[in-house]
Amino acid sequence: MPILSYLVLPQDGAMDQLCSDLSSMEYCEIIPADNQEVVVLVTDTPDDKVEETLQETLKNLPSLQSFSMTYGHNAV
Amino acid sequence: MKLNRRSFIKSAAAGSAIAAAGSIFPGISFANWKEQTGSAGQITWKKAPCRFCGTGCGVLVGVSGDRAVAVKGDPNCSVNKGLCCVKGFHVVQALYGKDRLRTAKVRRGGKMVEVPVSEALDIIAAKMKQTIKETGKDSVAMYGSGQWTIPDGYVASKLFKGCIGTNNVEANARLCMASAVTGFLTSFGTDEPMGCYEDIEHADVFVTWGNNMAEMHPVLFSRMLASRKRRGNVEIIDLATRSTRSSQASDKSILFKPNTDLAVANAICYEIIRNDWVNWDFVKKHTTFHKGKTNIGYGTEDHFKFKDAPEDISFEEYKEFLSDYTPKKVEKISGVSARDIKYLASLYGDPSKKCTSFWCMGMNQHVRGTWINNLVYNIHLLTGKISTPGNSPFSLTGQPSACGTVREVGTLTHKLPHGVVMKEAHRKMAAEIWDVPLTNIDPKPTYHTVEMFRALDRGDIRFIWIQVTNPMITMPNLTRYRNGALKDDRFIVVSDVYPTPTTDVADVVLPAAMWVEQEGMYGNSERRTQHFDRIVPGPGETMSDTWQIIEVARRLGYEKQFPWGEDEYIGKIWEEYRRFHDSPKHNMAPYDVLKKRSGVQWPFVDGKETRWRFNSKYDPACKPGSEFDFYGKKDGKAWIWARPYEPAAESPDDEYDFWLNTGRVIEHWHTGTMTRRVPVLHRAVPESYVEIHPEDAMNLGVTNGEMVKIISRRGEVTMKASIDGRGKPPRGMVFVPFFDESYKINEVTLDAFCPISKQPDYKKCAVRLEKA
Amino acid sequence: MNKRAKITTGVVIGFAAVCFSWTVVSMSAQAAPGVQEGFDWSGEKIYNRYNDTPLQAMTGTDGRRTLNTFYERRQYPGSPPIVPHKVAEAFSGDTAKCISCHGRGGYDAEQDAYAPVTPHPENENCFQCHVPITTENLFVESDWESVSPSRLGRSMMGGSPPPVPHSLQLREDCIACHTGPGAVAEIRVEHGSRGNCRQCHVPQVTTTTFERNN
Repeated sequence: MPILSYLVLPQDGAMDQLCSDLSSMEYCEIIPADNQEVVVLVTDTPDDKVEETLQETLKNLPSLQSFSMTYGHNAV
Repeated sequence: MKLNRRSFIKSAAAGSAIAAAGSIFPGISFANWKEQTGSAGQITWKKAPCRFCGTGCGVLVGVSGDRAVAVKGDPNCSVNKGLCCVKGFHVVQALYGKDRLRTAKVRRGGKMVEVPVSEALDIIAAKMKQTIKETGKDSVAMYGSGQWTIPDGYVASKLFKGCIGTNNVEANARLCMASAVTGFLTSFGTDEPMGCYEDIEHADVFVTWGNNMAEMHPVLFSRMLASRKRRGNVEIIDLATRSTRSSQASDKSILFKPNTDLAVANAICYEIIRNDWVNWDFVKKHTTFHKGKTNIGYGTEDHFKFKDAPEDISFEEYKEFLSDYTPKKVEKISGVSARDIKYLASLYGDPSKKCTSFWCMGMNQHVRGTWINNLVYNIHLLTGKISTPGNSPFSLTGQPSACGTVREVGTLTHKLPHGVVMKEAHRKMAAEIWDVPLTNIDPKPTYHTVEMFRALDRGDIRFIWIQVTNPMITMPNLTRYRNGALKDDRFIVVSDVYPTPTTDVADVVLPAAMWVEQEGMYGNSERRTQHFDRIVPGPGETMSDTWQIIEVARRLGYEKQFPWGEDEYIGKIWEEYRRFHDSPKHNMAPYDVLKKRSGVQWPFVDGKETRWRFNSKYDPACKPGSEFDFYGKKDGKAWIWARPYEPAAESPDDEYDFWLNTGRVIEHWHTGTMTRRVPVLHRAVPESYVEIHPEDAMNLGVTNGEMVKIISRRGEVTMKASIDGRGKPPRGMVFVPFFDESYKINEVTLDAFCPISKQPDYKKCAVRLEKA
Repeated sequence: MNKRAKITTGVVIGFAAVCFSWTVVSMSAQAAPGVQEGFDWSGEKIYNRYNDTPLQAMTGTDGRRTLNTFYERRQYPGSPPIVPHKVAEAFSGDTAKCISCHGRGGYDAEQDAYAPVTPHPENENCFQCHVPITTENLFVESDWESVSPSRLGRSMMGGSPPPVPHSLQLREDCIACHTGPGAVAEIRVEHGSRGNCRQCHVPQVTTTTFERNN
């Protein structure tokens, strides 16, 4: 049951779009920064397969510029 | 354990991301994150005194989110230094029983109907107004508790005594500590112990007088055991009517026949004088001798009245009085061998041994409770073993705030926060601080607790508000008082946290906030006041008892006297209350000091706690130049009282041939309303039982676990026998723990009381047994 | 056995296992639930042992005696353990010899182990219950199965004192088994110096929760 966190950067000017995209996605919780265009994303997925699919979806989000993992834990 | 592990990991994950962001994007801020802090996964620890006994251990309540989830002993609290007992270690679980009262209820058409709390408060105020109008101010009453916080008791007293003008204010501490109070007042003129718990580490001899300290004040008992082990020459003697864990742990266990503690104490004094172990220097300078009335009755009739008539006597007269109490004579009455009496006397009389006597319910719940308190003080006064470290006649308190609230705030019919209603100077002080006309405060006391419930039965009281106590289990001779409460034209309001036999008879039930769900203070046995914040929110519409009283007071028109806002009322109440005690003899610490420290002893003078009172070395209230100053008495001298042995109200006879003794076990507190809902405690002792001596059981034809009927002139209860359990009564006595509402043992007990203190004797009445 | 019989047997054994695990639970509750067993009277032992045992004897870190070895020597939780070491042929009952090591514990060079301390030294006829093993052979194969012993870690909350999972009969002296180098490593405690064990650790007489019978 993987739990991971990422720092996510939006495309230029797409901060709001990114926030609404991410918060509507399953398994995702966000903490947007209030003074910079950075979002902390915490994901909590039921298994590795779902986790991989989620990462694929993130990569292909148009509002997302880049994301880097800051924490990974496979909680059983 | 239900701590949410996933959320803990998720907040760790978020924390990592935020930390990383902090280094990559300097100055970045995530305001949202603050809301996440403190949610499940992190425990914060906040101090509070334990909810249970009068030891007053400091605990740290572990809070996660808005729930209490764990407990630690508070290492900063000098009382227990981080240790608790099984109840204390699980105290937070008492908040979460499934049947917690969350809404107010009103009896309509014979059924309890849920109503909003504000409506219930309206009904209460209206009913009070109506009752006062129809049958006078003395037909309403307040019955509170030694588990009331100090602000609870203060606003109750202010409302009833100051505003409404009735002295119908009593508390259940009348049933547990009244004899201790009158003992203090008659011997010293001022209430509460002169020593402190530090005496434990200094004493060479401990005598427990009729109290099972190993189970009832376990943390203090552990300190005694630790001292004995560490120092190697410490002796613990258990003087009791039955064998308990305390007897097992003691160096010597001495059993005496019920009520003969009076004779034994006098015999010890006889020996002290005969062997010239008297500390003459101390006795001549600091004591005087007195006697009072004898054959003073037992209070079993309505309207029983007693007033003592103290007389001065000489030492010679006192010595003559004691000639009836030679060890040989007392051996015959008490069953304690002359040898043991002499041994006890030799310990008290040995000037090189520091002696501490501990007592609680055995001496207080006693038809001569005031007398036996006096007599143990006599022993310490004759030998001068008092008010110095290790020399301590220490009256232990049962409830967490019987001292703090009932005794210090004065929630008894005759008391005010400073002094008594009978004295005009004291009424003047109250009227001034309370901002009420002097004529409001009635100079005549009305009813003590037993008489108050008799008045309810007779109809002299028509309205009673009961908070934080369960009299429909704890009143002796219970059937009469339950029937009285159920009569028509009696309006019963009950504030409590769980459904109990008392809420069962209520017309209005208010859901109360419990312990750390409200801010408050408790005061323990050693004069230590402990503050606690509101640490977790209460469920549903629960409301602190203090605030309930304030809401009703405002509806009765007393907004001026109860003006405080909900965010500041406790602090304001404390500062107003403190004014009553402003003197080096009783000063209380200011609010901000209480908030910071894990308990502060009073008197608190110039920033320092007075640990030993009446000793000028430690007590700034003493007259300068005096070694000891018992400043409760006008001449600064303590009183040695000649008090005789008189038998119990109802001793066994041919028809009812057993003594019935009642009490507690370590796992359960009082009527079990809280502790039975704590899984560990319930599973350790799920049911009450009757302890019987094996030979008596054999004669009865009963083995362990079989049912026995206990019958008295007042009622009967059938319950399981416990033979060779943790407590062992002597032949001819049975013992029943009273925590189990399925076995209302007080239907069997007798409402006889000490005529001076009015405290009932729960330890002695006559029963007979039948195999059921 | 054909498949159906195998399944049935499996079900039966599974059911029996469930029954057995219920038995564990009710084994701690006596025939008269709610009334303390008649063996709660020897509480004096703990106070005496506490006074007699020097603090050093209550500490220890030797980890050789584990819960596994503990249960290996017993047939069911609570049964008297076998004598796992050799006993002289001529040893016919000088049980003072047993007490010389097992009365107070201590290190025995010959066994290269710390002797476990008996919680019931007043029972002096040791080999009435504790017998040595002289052979590994069985006379006839046995079907014997027992219940699982109580698990550890039964504190109600993190850090709170766990209740006593075993019956107190013959085991009223906590210090003997739970402290010192001879103790089973998993149940050894370092706070034996507190002395009044049952101030915090209470027995478990039932598994029900409280309900008002109104």
